[in-house]
Amino acid sequence: MRLVRRPNVAGWLFVAFVAVAAEAAVRLLDLHDSVPTPSATLRALGDEVRSGALPAELATTLESYVVGFGLAVVLGVGLGVALGASRLLRDASSVTVEFLRPIPGVAIIPLAMLAFGLGEPMRRFVIAYAALWPILVHTAAAVRGIDSRLHDVARTNGVAGSSGLVRVSLPAAIPGIATGIRVSASIALLVAVTVEFVTGTDGLGAYMQQQQLAFRLPELYAAVVVVGLLGYAVNVGLRALERRAVPWSGEQRAALM
Amino acid sequence: MSRRALGLAVFVGALGLWEAWARGRPTFLVPPASAVLERAWEVWPTGDFLGAVGASLGRLAVGFLIGATAGLAVGLAMGASTRVRRLLEPLVDLARSLPPIALLPVAIVAFGVGDGMRIAVIAVGLSFPILLGALDGVRAVPPETRDTAALLRLGAAERTLRVYLPAALPSIAAGVRVAAPIGLVLIVISELTGEGEGVGRYIVFQQSQFNVPEVYGGILFLGLLGFALNALLALAERRLLSWHDGATGAAR
Repeated sequence: MRLVRRPNVAGWLFVAFVAVAAEAAVRLLDLHDSVPTPSATLRALGDEVRSGALPAELATTLESYVVGFGLAVVLGVGLGVALGASRLLRDASSVTVEFLRPIPGVAIIPLAMLAFGLGEPMRRFVIAYAALWPILVHTAAAVRGIDSRLHDVARTNGVAGSSGLVRVSLPAAIPGIATGIRVSASIALLVAVTVEFVTGTDGLGAYMQQQQLAFRLPELYAAVVVVGLLGYAVNVGLRALERRAVPWSGEQRAALM
Repeated sequence: MSRRALGLAVFVGALGLWEAWARGRPTFLVPPASAVLERAWEVWPTGDFLGAVGASLGRLAVGFLIGATAGLAVGLAMGASTRVRRLLEPLVDLARSLPPIALLPVAIVAFGVGDGMRIAVIAVGLSFPILLGALDGVRAVPPETRDTAALLRLGAAERTLRVYLPAALPSIAAGVRVAAPIGLVLIVISELTGEGEGVGRYIVFQQSQFNVPEVYGGILFLGLLGFALNALLALAERRLLSWHDGATGAAR
């Protein structure tokens, strides 16, 4: 077990090596019609960032993403705790949840466009809907799976009812909730960009679609890099947050065992 | 009332409410549940619709085979050797953080708007859950097993195929289970634009014609497909991996 994370120099050098190899391949095999060179992509990235085009699209995407995802977290944790704590609610909702959960979030975009139009409310709704299910299901399972001895101890110490829910169930369920949130974060980002790609008005998804139609490959790939870095930042950020909030769970627990 | 009956009753009740509400104030956007089911009953058995389903599933299968093979190879290599894992980790982490929708325009530019583009998007998207399943599975191989393989002087290839791969199968199966719903998402995403047929194309086309009950029906079909896929994979996992200790342990 390694407590201090060494920077992975070899791994990042390999990323650089792949970029150089791609540069050479595109130039030597003359693939410019289907792939831009990494250097042209970097140039386009610099230009589009300086001109303010990409930052503006990024801000649009982030706004719907944060609001929609935030809604999903609040609703998902709330409903999940209720379903996890009450067997009656769990039984009553079981078939409905099992029915709705397998529907891919991106599939409801066409319907949401008819219902809510192309604007911000539609985007937030679709993102929140798609991200809701993993959080809800993980939270319910985590609350339900809490060791019953924990509740016994709480009861003997006079902690019960709603205060027991907040002081015992919720903290004990945090590792499960964190997993649900991490899974949902990628789904929410995917749906956020997809909605923009479909509507084609603004945001990183629309920007990518426009660059593809105009066949401006370096600009298209520049946007792909931005979306990829956004996804990477979300993944790494949430993993770090999880390690902070629940140092006893996940990778850490596995490493300690 | 049994637990299942209560869940079913609530579900039927919700459908009834939807029906009553849609009939009480007919709107174009919310057709009654019965209208959706009626249209599904008419449309789903037609050759056009079944052809679309077959086209989507065919591309899903081919894309899965390509993506799973690549993911398996890289995942096993990363699991078997710490050096390979350190080398590839940042690249894999970056690549799997990219939402598959970003692959769509890239694949369109490289492969056009036909089957090749769709299969490429599906293959790349499905390779990562398999890769991670294989990687986790091999990393969880107990040190004693690794030492025994080393003691027997098994070569790298033999060690990987005869020791690590079987040991990692439950974890790989878990990766396949994770991949199934992603596969549905990729069907929809890869069919957002372009020509040809598919369930995703069907939904997009019906939406452009404002055929609302058909849009609901298409979404409903994808949900049922996801449900069936998951049930099928769970069954296959129980059947094929019952010999594995890890399978029974992981089955909860």
